[in-house]
Amino acid sequence: MISVRNIFKDFGDLRILNGISCEIEKGECVVIIGPSGSGKSTLLRCMNLLEDPTYGEVWLGDKLINDIDPYLHYDAIEASKTYANLVSTGLTRDEAIAKIKKEDLLKKHEGPAFKKICREIYEENHLDINIARSRMGMVFQHFNLFNNLTVMQNLTLAPVKLKLKTKEEAEAKAMELLRRIGLEEKKDEYPSKLSGGQKQRIAIIRALCMDPEVILFDEPTSALDPEMVGEVLDVMRSLAKEGMTMVVVTHEMGFAREVADRVLFISDGQIAEEGTPNELFSNPKTQRAKDFLGKVL
Amino acid sequence: MNFISKLIELFTTVKYWEMIFRGFKMTIGISLGAIVLGLLLGTVVALVTIAKNSKVMFIPKLICKIYITVIRGTPMALQLFIMAYVIFAIRGFPQMLTAIIAFGVNSGAYVAENIRAGILSVDIGQTEAGRALGLPSSITMMSIVIPQAIKNVIPAIGNELIALIKETSIVSMIGMYDLTMAAKNIGSGNYMASYIVPMSVVAVFYLGIVYLLTFCIKMIEKRLRAGDKR
Repeated sequence: MISVRNIFKDFGDLRILNGISCEIEKGECVVIIGPSGSGKSTLLRCMNLLEDPTYGEVWLGDKLINDIDPYLHYDAIEASKTYANLVSTGLTRDEAIAKIKKEDLLKKHEGPAFKKICREIYEENHLDINIARSRMGMVFQHFNLFNNLTVMQNLTLAPVKLKLKTKEEAEAKAMELLRRIGLEEKKDEYPSKLSGGQKQRIAIIRALCMDPEVILFDEPTSALDPEMVGEVLDVMRSLAKEGMTMVVVTHEMGFAREVADRVLFISDGQIAEEGTPNELFSNPKTQRAKDFLGKVL
Repeated sequence: MNFISKLIELFTTVKYWEMIFRGFKMTIGISLGAIVLGLLLGTVVALVTIAKNSKVMFIPKLICKIYITVIRGTPMALQLFIMAYVIFAIRGFPQMLTAIIAFGVNSGAYVAENIRAGILSVDIGQTEAGRALGLPSSITMMSIVIPQAIKNVIPAIGNELIALIKETSIVSMIGMYDLTMAAKNIGSGNYMASYIVPMSVVAVFYLGIVYLLTFCIKMIEKRLRAGDKR
């Protein structure tokens, strides 16, 4: 469903993501854990391009959603002048490609003609980012409900503006979802009148109103009072049970253990370890994972 | 005692009232025109300055930056002179329009900075949430960010508009007949031979206009804040 290929992300001189690749399969619940500052949120935000990766590609289904990464596309490399020059000096195809990648030669030597080739490959494969995002829900740590709109308007704004649903359909869907989380009497309230747990549950169903194929959760319970964490996790649990594809960045190890199909442990911008919750929590292989789990469990 | 007797004289002389009324009309006309122009110009300039850097926007952004810097960095009186005696020094060009443009352009620069600050004060999470739902940046801006920004900038814009109204008093420098000019004329030797009385009366007029404007701003603010806790 979502495929992240060799993602690098730099903020200035600081390298946050250092070559991450992963696949999210349909119907899967993947939980991302790791120490703070390790890049888990950045990875999640790269999946819907709220952060633009410095290198690497993000695919939704069989469509590319960010710019093409010439280092991942061998046909791009082979079309470059640098490659032709290297091959003419007697290097084989693999050696030439390896050299180009290792020494970052494309960035140094290529001109507008090469950019055009990349552009063409991109246009063949790409999916408009707004369309891609409308198929991927996102739930934020700080809820980010629209403060100037009522709960109902929050839920219906995007589906109606993007013409995915008529106003009536959107409202019917919103009411159904509000009933499901037991907040239908709050439909005309503004977000400032709601508790943190209520806000986050509404943020979750705001994503659901778009009928997304996958939902990304960015530390959904970290900004909540302890007694409200449960209600939000309950909603997420029921979603996972229904087979919704989910990617969750969280510190709730109990939730990860119970709901996740797969856990990714991220450390220093790389996937240090991945596996089923049982493998990873009871029997971590790497030292970094052992240290981290020793502290949080 | 002299003050009181002059005051009575002013209040009982129709000619003085006519002069004040003529000035009042001019002040109101210039103020309203300049407010409308300033708000429109300010909004457009603010939207351009916060737009993402790109090749298409480079020139408009540069122009807006220069506009804001120059207008805020030079005295209003000078700008008025330049408008009146250089740019619109055409015979028969309505003086009132010159003044409206001069004050509108001036006020636009301040309003633009206020609106820009207001847009930046809206939590970036609001924009992210909108974009993450797949809304294009224009819809996110129009439906989510700007409505919240306006609420935040109304007090600052109110301040700016009040300053603008009072600043229109300098149009007398290019010979226009506004409230201040009326007071000067009434007070001059041929008529009353005292400035203090007509100036005080005209001050009350300014106070009234500003009070009315403040009241309107309060009402707008109250309506916009209906959904807030505070």
